[in-house]
Amino acid sequence: MVRFIIKRILLIIPMALLVVTLTWGLIRMAPGTFYSSEKKLPAAIEKNIRERYGLDKPWYAQYGLMMGNVISGDLGISLKYEGQAVNEIIGRHLPYSAIIGIAAYLLALAVGLAAGTLAALRQNSFFDYASMSVALLGLSIPAFVLGPLLVLLFSFTLYLLPPARWGGVSALVLPVVTLAAVYAAYIARLTRAGMLEVLRSDYIRTARAKGLSERTILFRHALRGGLIPVVSFTGPALAGLLAGTVVVEKVFAIPGLGNIFIQSIFNRDEPLTLGIVAFISILIMVFNLAVDIAYGFLDPRIRYE
Amino acid sequence: MKLNNRSVVGFTALVIGSFLIQACGGASQYFGKTETPRDNILRYVSGSEPESLDPHVSSGQPEARIYMALFDGLVEYGPKDLQPIPAIAKSWETGPGVDTFIFHLRDNARWSDGKPITAEDFVYSLRRGFAPETLSRTASLGYFVKYAEAYNSGRVFVRKNGRYITGSDLDGTPKKQRAAFGPDTEFDRSLRDGERITLDADPKKREKEIETDPKLRAAAEGAEFVPVSENDIGVEAIDAYTLRISLRQPAPFFVGLLAHQFFRLVPRHAIERYGKQWTRPENIVTCGAFKMQRYVPYNVLAVTRDPMYWDAANVHLDGIEFYPVEELSTIMNLYKGGQIDAMLNHSVPSSWIGDVRQYKDEYLNFAEAATAYYSMNMTKPPFNDIRVRRAFQLAVDRKALSDFRKVTKPLNDITPDGIFPDYDRARAAVADASRAKAGLSVEEWDRKHGVDPEAARRSLTEAGFPVIAEGNGFACPTFPTDTVSLTFNTNENNRAVAEFVQAQWKKNLGVTIPLKSQEFKTFLKDRNELNYVGFAQSLWSGDYMDPFTFLGLHYAKQNDGGSGFYDPKYDKLLDDANNELDPQKRYELLARAEAYVMDQLPVVTLTVNATNWLKKPYVKGMYPNPGTLHAWKFVYIETDRSRWDRDVEGIMTGSDARVDQQLAELTSSQRGQ
Amino acid sequence: MNELPKTGKVEKGASLWRDAWQRLLKNRLAVFGLVVLILMSTAVIVGPAIIEWTTGYTYDFIPDDPTLYRSMPPSAAHWMGTDDAGRDIFARVLQGGRISLLVGIISTAVSLIVGVTYGSIAGYLGGRIDNVMMRIVDILYAIPYILIVIVLLAVFGSSNSPAWIKWLAATVGGEGNQGLSQIILLFFALGLVSWLTMARVVRGQVLSLKNQDFILAARATGVRVPGIIFRHIIPNTLGPVIVYATLTVPSVMLTEAFLSYLGLGVQPPYASWGSLANDGIKNLAIYPWQLIFPGLTMALTLFSLNFLGDGLRDALDPQTRKF
Repeated sequence: MVRFIIKRILLIIPMALLVVTLTWGLIRMAPGTFYSSEKKLPAAIEKNIRERYGLDKPWYAQYGLMMGNVISGDLGISLKYEGQAVNEIIGRHLPYSAIIGIAAYLLALAVGLAAGTLAALRQNSFFDYASMSVALLGLSIPAFVLGPLLVLLFSFTLYLLPPARWGGVSALVLPVVTLAAVYAAYIARLTRAGMLEVLRSDYIRTARAKGLSERTILFRHALRGGLIPVVSFTGPALAGLLAGTVVVEKVFAIPGLGNIFIQSIFNRDEPLTLGIVAFISILIMVFNLAVDIAYGFLDPRIRYE
Repeated sequence: MKLNNRSVVGFTALVIGSFLIQACGGASQYFGKTETPRDNILRYVSGSEPESLDPHVSSGQPEARIYMALFDGLVEYGPKDLQPIPAIAKSWETGPGVDTFIFHLRDNARWSDGKPITAEDFVYSLRRGFAPETLSRTASLGYFVKYAEAYNSGRVFVRKNGRYITGSDLDGTPKKQRAAFGPDTEFDRSLRDGERITLDADPKKREKEIETDPKLRAAAEGAEFVPVSENDIGVEAIDAYTLRISLRQPAPFFVGLLAHQFFRLVPRHAIERYGKQWTRPENIVTCGAFKMQRYVPYNVLAVTRDPMYWDAANVHLDGIEFYPVEELSTIMNLYKGGQIDAMLNHSVPSSWIGDVRQYKDEYLNFAEAATAYYSMNMTKPPFNDIRVRRAFQLAVDRKALSDFRKVTKPLNDITPDGIFPDYDRARAAVADASRAKAGLSVEEWDRKHGVDPEAARRSLTEAGFPVIAEGNGFACPTFPTDTVSLTFNTNENNRAVAEFVQAQWKKNLGVTIPLKSQEFKTFLKDRNELNYVGFAQSLWSGDYMDPFTFLGLHYAKQNDGGSGFYDPKYDKLLDDANNELDPQKRYELLARAEAYVMDQLPVVTLTVNATNWLKKPYVKGMYPNPGTLHAWKFVYIETDRSRWDRDVEGIMTGSDARVDQQLAELTSSQRGQ
Repeated sequence: MNELPKTGKVEKGASLWRDAWQRLLKNRLAVFGLVVLILMSTAVIVGPAIIEWTTGYTYDFIPDDPTLYRSMPPSAAHWMGTDDAGRDIFARVLQGGRISLLVGIISTAVSLIVGVTYGSIAGYLGGRIDNVMMRIVDILYAIPYILIVIVLLAVFGSSNSPAWIKWLAATVGGEGNQGLSQIILLFFALGLVSWLTMARVVRGQVLSLKNQDFILAARATGVRVPGIIFRHIIPNTLGPVIVYATLTVPSVMLTEAFLSYLGLGVQPPYASWGSLANDGIKNLAIYPWQLIFPGLTMALTLFSLNFLGDGLRDALDPQTRKF
């Protein structure tokens, strides 16, 4: 197990570099440059810009330079926002995304697990149908619809919460709920399905036969196995949440990383895009590793050689 | 469970009930929460996140509004009409050839760190702006300054036997000695002494330039090539408080251009100390009415009143908070919730306009120095055929389009109506003369230059794409709709216009032009490099308050018109106009040039934009001027409810004693000249 | 799933599938879902033509004077009212359904075929192969798909792209319909990313299945690897797979809506349910029908799909009978 973990950790760096390389290639294939705008630049200025940023060098030299930067951990300077280092930008905006993302995930986990487990225990009951229908509703309402709906209700009808911008706990409520809705729905449905599967399995029947209380069966045995699909889902989902979510950040004017990432792609701000991609890919891989480790704990039948 | 059900029903009823109240609650006088902020700080949504706080670097309007708080210039935009008013220059004089200007600076202007501001600072600032290594993207606006273009693009003078070769040396004409203006200095004499020729710094490209002209080759034989340096450009500090700027050609609108961000003053001492890092909040030194207080990118940029500012006594606000928000409905929510006091232009989404328009004390919809049109790619068939272009221009009902957009006005020319009243008159006179010459009635003339579906179908048929009647409408089966498209960058408004115009062409010509909504940079590449076939969306905001900022769109081979239009005859017409010193005659010549280019129809004209933004009634001294550029020191927050703005329809013609007096005092120094 | 009987032995498999079918028919909600889905598919396929034939409204018809017809409430002429440009929302909902349903079907098909196969192979074979396969998924997951879409659109959608690409776009998307070829690209881009999570979910399931007795027994009796994977492992992962597939449909529909919102999705004047909802939400307080009808249509479809999915899961579950 320990060897497995070490091997995987050692793999993360080359994989992140591979992701960065592929992304770099994609950026180079995308039309337009960071300096293109409605007004054409005089040729001389364009030439100066290209020289300054090394765009006149052959592609392999540019690639080498970029990789050197990424490997040394200094992701360079943003092309769009002059004088701001990529590391600084990520460090500055990550906390916003992280706070909202983690809060939303915890909320989603609490609601989703409770609803999913209860629905599975009382399969085909009213609660099952009702909670699963609500979950489905949560899945089919896009954030760009749910956000404005909540704003209309809580900011302009009940006058309880501010409609947008960062600042204070009250300003967090709407974005967190908007973000949590879809994840709660996912988790509820995955939990229910996983639990139904487990509750029918032999080891639960054995446990029942042994006369263990339903509570013990649920918490000691069933929940562990039933959580596997949820855990699979959690890795990438949590990584995505930490890295920010564009729609919620846009609707609520939150200075998170997700919107900055999308903007950097649209701005062709290569160092910034690559920096965030490197960061996100490491995040995803670490979380996926954590998921794989968690499998081993949740289900003793899973082994890693 | 019962309780549960009841609470569910109760909640649902509450939600539905409150939506209903919401829907019917339009009786209130103001839009959303309307209370003056407790602190004297204006909260303003400035649009996209500023690229840089260095006024030489970024070109956008969102940045311009922030620079207007932080950096002063020689002149400032007037709050209502954007005409130049004195700033650090307390007055200025125009030379007899309208190509030299002398500015008298005030002696009490200081940087935010207390250092005095002198004419040398302006010389440094302009030289830095034009320096090739500054990579300014707006430097071309200042190419009127003598040798600025040569310096900016790294060209060389040709020197032979210790003298610079001039244009008159080549063509043998007598040297054009420019009239002296202001004190006689050696530098000024060298500037007035003919126009030196410049060549490319790159030997290979230079060789090519020389190849084309035998006289040039003879002149360059054995000559040395001297790079144009910062010391050569036409900017001179005559003394500590007098600045002279010499241009390469007459430019009557030049002083108006000086309020643009490119010409604002940047601090030499901070830049030399911190390099690229000078704009960081801890390093920045400013010279505007406000100074940097707090900057959290993508969240807030807060500025506070600067006691060092020369006119600090007349700055009313204690500070401004700029919020970078782009999502239109979010801006509206912030406004409605009373979290902001005003917003940038074009902020009200079209679906909100119907509702918002009723708030007559807040909604500002005025003509803007900005046009929307579709460029047609004249370099690729079928749009290289004027008959095809005319067909599509005549088949759009611009009046209906404007009604549909709710906030715009029809655009029938290159230059928008209602922004330059004197020019509008000159243009009408030119049009009348042509109409009389052609022997057409007013209606015939208007139809010819407006919408005429029948003529449009005829024109398209003549071009080889017969339009036939089919059912209730028309069809044009041979038109190549598999290659032609209408390209625009993704944006709700662009999409609505494109869908509308597409429907018009389908109805009037029987042609369904496919729409292509593109991500911005992809779109720019297609448009600027003329890769598209058919139509490309274009929006143009004037850089300065003169028709030339619009007419210049189709000037010279490399232009920003997007159509690939180039006609030396048109360039000549514009050059002649700009060399004309009498403003009225100049307008007439410009109007002729406009009529000339409109005959060739490089574009389908669409609409003149409208400002379309909101401000709370307690925000005063802030006007819906044609650029939505606010000189922040005029803005104040009125706590006395009885003096709040009422019915802003008349805000531009009405008077505000406080602003009027401030403006009168400020401009008195210039009027004395 | 429907291909399975063809690959297996027909007589043996048929009874399993016939059984499942009969169990499905007994589930009233699932039958309701199936019927709604069939009706919905029929409506979006033939509906637009019928509306155009009876009333003349199409998804892109803007009346002569739109100011008179814009944002009208539902009426006999416009069953779902009109939008901000005066277009008939009913016609747009039907046309949008074509795109939304296609997006859902294609992405789900990709995620079922590619994702399930990939995930179960990785999970069953384990070891180095599993490691490599899952790392590839990680890498694909980390590449920003917006960038992929931008590049796809730029390379394939541009008028100066290579001739063979133009030929391909014209063949797949149809000549003279540049808007449609972008939709094809969109399907492709969404399919590219939709199977990744499915592969992870399936692999997780397989890891816990593969050491169970019945697999060991199959292996001991000499069933070869493909047989074990397709006949023994995959059928036992069907529960979570079907649930996950029904989750995929709304998620890709939303992804499509998000891409359209960024300008990378469906080209105007075409619409999708997601883009209609995006337009409608802006006018919610004033013209609620512009959100309600597209929203209800989408919700009804997703609910039906879900009922059907749950029913299928129960019907196919080999262990259900024991309860």
